[in-house]
Amino acid sequence: MEKDFIIRTKNVDFFYGAFRALSDVTVDFEKNKVTALIGPSGCGKSTLLRLLNRMNDLIDGTRVEGEILFEGRNIYAPDVDPVEIRQRIGMVFQKPNPFPKSIFNNITYAPKLAGIRDRGEIEALVEASLKQAVLWDEVKDILTKSAMTLSGGQQQRLCIARALAMKPDVILMDEPTSALDPISTAKIEELIDTLKKHYTIIIVTHNMQQAARISEYTGFFYLGKLIEFNATEKIFTNPDVKQTEDYITGRFG
Amino acid sequence: MKNRKHSLTKHAKEIAIRNLFGFFAFLSVLLLGLILVFLFREGLPLFKQISVVDFLFGTAWYPTYDPPEYGIWPLIVGSLAITFFACLIAVPLGLLSAVYIAEIAPAGIKEILKSIIELLAGLPSVVLGFFGMVIVGPWLQETFDLPTGLNIINAAVMLAIMAIPTISSISEDALYAVPREFKEASYALGATKYETIIRVIIPAALSGVSTAVILGMARAIGETMVVLMVAGGAAAIPEGIFDAVRPMTASIAAEMGEAPFRSGHYHALFATGIVLFMITLAFNLIADYISNRFRETGSGTL
Repeated sequence: MEKDFIIRTKNVDFFYGAFRALSDVTVDFEKNKVTALIGPSGCGKSTLLRLLNRMNDLIDGTRVEGEILFEGRNIYAPDVDPVEIRQRIGMVFQKPNPFPKSIFNNITYAPKLAGIRDRGEIEALVEASLKQAVLWDEVKDILTKSAMTLSGGQQQRLCIARALAMKPDVILMDEPTSALDPISTAKIEELIDTLKKHYTIIIVTHNMQQAARISEYTGFFYLGKLIEFNATEKIFTNPDVKQTEDYITGRFG
Repeated sequence: MKNRKHSLTKHAKEIAIRNLFGFFAFLSVLLLGLILVFLFREGLPLFKQISVVDFLFGTAWYPTYDPPEYGIWPLIVGSLAITFFACLIAVPLGLLSAVYIAEIAPAGIKEILKSIIELLAGLPSVVLGFFGMVIVGPWLQETFDLPTGLNIINAAVMLAIMAIPTISSISEDALYAVPREFKEASYALGATKYETIIRVIIPAALSGVSTAVILGMARAIGETMVVLMVAGGAAAIPEGIFDAVRPMTASIAAEMGEAPFRSGHYHALFATGIVLFMITLAFNLIADYISNRFRETGSGTL
């Protein structure tokens, strides 16, 4: 069967000023799979992730070369509106970053921007999103309380629910569990496993066991280059490249 | 042995430095306390002659008549009216310029604008008063066919010019202090720059912005030279924005020189100073309360 790739990058170079953070990255992300990006700090994996929904646009003095295709369309083409891209490709950040608003209003932020005004529809969306993020039972009675009163793990699941409320196709996760305790981490990993039925998930992680546990594909980055991209099982048992093996076995990084 | 001696002198030095800093910190508190004591000592004797209610709400201010009348209600209304209209002008302008500088302007323009606004803050109030007197006053008088161009609206515009730098620079700091994570979250949810500013950045900076507004108001109500020059000086309750008024500060500044020492008039002016002090104190307490309240619920915790 022909594989369905939702995002493909072609020979992508990325510069912060004169510094070349990514060179010649070509990678295809398969639809409804979990792809993990691993590598030592500063290897460019987060930079690549932030290129996929044009978050790097917000940093002055950056430059992209090459193509990033989302459903066949180059998202860096001049006629593409980054706002529209970000509505279809959600993002969850390293540090939980709910807005200092109520739990309810955190979830409704994106739908309201998209022009949904109907109260019933909004309430249904809030409930569905929180259920999908396995947070509903914990917060259903405190929806009007500030999101800041939640624990770190709950805040991160709220951020996932907030992204889901936008009904995206892809969810980018930038080390989503690095600020969380092991129990919250386990909950988020379970959640990722259920979400992949409906969403394509691309996750950057420092935790190699996490990559091995949750992903189907893994890309290993080093010094701005994609060293190896393969099925996760293959990467972790019998990698093609020596550097990958050295990193995975802890010989460097 | 040598080492120990060394650490002893070091320790003594630490204590000396700490006490020196403590002394200067308390010196300003002490000075404020002494000023207050003086203010109350000179102001309170008035209330042997007239009740507090008659003083605050009396509508006639004729301190040199016989018998004199010390009702400062027209002065309070004058101060509040000018402050209110000044804020009506200064709050939107100050806030919008802060948003522009903090979030929208490109780096070059940002620096230029910031220094111009700082320059505005450094403008001596007598210069502004002069400008109001010889330019704005006559223009108002001609354009609206008024008996005098020195009135509430003239003073309000001048005070607004003075309050804008305060409001703008404090709001700007508050906007800068909004964590980058909130902005990123907003953009990642498909918000545009303006949606992010209106729905996330300004609400998150609300405590600082409110503080800025209240401090701007405190600045306006305490300002003396400008209102002395352009408010018109009539100690009567105004009926419109083109009426002349005599704010509390102007009254004190204009009359103190001619009030006989420790006369009723002299005490009345000090008592007016007490009222003014209470009002600015209230503004500061409100600003403090608001910034603390919002800070507790507004900050992110992990």
